[in-house]
Amino acid sequence: MTEAGKLYIRGLNKKFNVDAKEISVLEAINLTVERGEFVSIIGTSGCGKTTLLKLIVGLGGSYEGDIILNGKRVDGPGLDRGIVFQDHRLLPWLTVSENIGFGLDAKIKKAERQEIIRKHIQLIGLRGFEKAYPYQLSGGMAQRAAIARSLVNRPAILMLDEPLGALDALTRMYMQRELEKIWKEERIAMIMVTHDVEEAIYLADKVVVMSSRPGKINKVIPIPLARPRDRDSYEFIRIKDEILKEFHLEAEKYFSYSI
Amino acid sequence: MASRKKFIWGDLLAGLLLPLGLLVLWQVISCAGWVNASILPSPVKVLKVIEDSLADGFLLKNLLISFNRVIRGFLFGSGIGFVMGTWMGLSKTAEKALGPFFHAVRNVPLVGWVPLFIIWFGFGEFSQVVFISVGAFYPVVLNTLQGIRGVRREYVELGRVFGFSRLKVFTKIILPAAVPSVFTGVRLSLSTSWMLVVAAELFGVSTGGVGNMMMDAREFFKMDIVIMGILTIGAVGFIMNQLLAAIEGHFLSWKRRTA
Ligand SMILES: Nc1ncnc2c1ncn2[C@@H]1O[C@H](COP(=O)(O)OP(=O)(O)O)[C@@H](O)[C@H]1O
Ligand SMILES: [Mg+2]
Repeated sequence: MTEAGKLYIRGLNKKFNVDAKEISVLEAINLTVERGEFVSIIGTSGCGKTTLLKLIVGLGGSYEGDIILNGKRVDGPGLDRGIVFQDHRLLPWLTVSENIGFGLDAKIKKAERQEIIRKHIQLIGLRGFEKAYPYQLSGGMAQRAAIARSLVNRPAILMLDEPLGALDALTRMYMQRELEKIWKEERIAMIMVTHDVEEAIYLADKVVVMSSRPGKINKVIPIPLARPRDRDSYEFIRIKDEILKEFHLEAEKYFSYSI
Repeated sequence: MASRKKFIWGDLLAGLLLPLGLLVLWQVISCAGWVNASILPSPVKVLKVIEDSLADGFLLKNLLISFNRVIRGFLFGSGIGFVMGTWMGLSKTAEKALGPFFHAVRNVPLVGWVPLFIIWFGFGEFSQVVFISVGAFYPVVLNTLQGIRGVRREYVELGRVFGFSRLKVFTKIILPAAVPSVFTGVRLSLSTSWMLVVAAELFGVSTGGVGNMMMDAREFFKMDIVIMGILTIGAVGFIMNQLLAAIEGHFLSWKRRTA
């Protein structure tokens, strides 16, 4: 069936009640994510990116329109979807192993659990740190453990909310390659929010540019480049310029409104 | 590591300076005969009494009787404190209904309850255990409430991502996150219970226990036993605290922020 693993978002609106006033945070969002596709979302802060990811994962409460995964409307969390939050959100009282196994489907037997955890520690390259506590990890290691934790239930689609935002530039580049490797191995769809245009292009099959107040999708830009990608190639830089131009237009529009 | 050890020895020595000084002063006063020996027996005489009381089990017997009262009062008070604190921590309604009452009642000093307890429960064991329980109750209820309220919402959200039931969110996330705070309450509660047992034995009619041992000795002007009682209370309180600190250090090692 072609629906399997496919995510449709159609006519999505999300409003919040703040001080008895309704504010529209997301408006008329349409987006299709193919099975195993990598989608990057970029947009200024406050434009509703986190809200969108939370809605897809089923944490956002009620919404107008449709979010459809595997032919079913999303109306709550499920193990077919995972999320990596911007703060790694590892539980400080659990070791790396325990954190990774934390959300593992309760139906899975003990021996198999251990095997799944072991495999994921291998996947993210944290061998030797199984018994370490989160305070003993660097930012990059913690974020890798958080990624492993979100993968153990083999979700069809993984949301990543600025997963590398807190890392230094070098660790960040390294983690981008790691993330690409994991995405290839796991063959699952990923939607990643980022502030970094280069990061968005490096990883994505398509980049979604959002504008704010209310949050809308401005443009969807396909990235037809072969992997692994060369950040200095002519095509890469051309696409980067195109996306940056979108942002400048957006900034002009915003400031001309507010003046 | 070596320098750290030396540092601790230095600390220990500094901490022993005052007690050793007092001991010397005490011995000098006794030898010089400035104070009547029946009011202030010499350290050597007290040491002899301690030795004899340890040898014939007199001290241990009284200690065990006091421990028994402490344990019952502590378990009762801290148990109810934990349940109430958890309940108020989980339910805003419960806190609104119970909180003001607890805070108002807390303003009554513990000894203020004694006349009431005597009339309600008599002078006996039960009255004494209730007295200790009230003292044991407050640290636990307050710290448990604070601990549960302080659990980061983000951790609870993580439980929802994995589809945890409310019970599982409580046992796997809220409770472990609140443990350090609860433990602080338990520590305070236990040391309060120990301090209160002597007071309870003073006002109540019961036999045995460190407090009663001291009261009986006072009647017969055996100051050496009175001083032994004071030393015992201090030593046991100190050891209890060290023990709990060690347990805390062992089980809450994940709390260390710096490696
Ligand atoms: N639970 C909420 N209640 C009210 N307003 C919210 C809530 N969550 C988010 N918002 C608002 O929605 C807007 C978008 O937030 P968010 O999705 O976090 O933006 P982004 O992730 O793009 O920075 C912000 O203006 C924020 O204040
Ligand atoms: Mg955000």
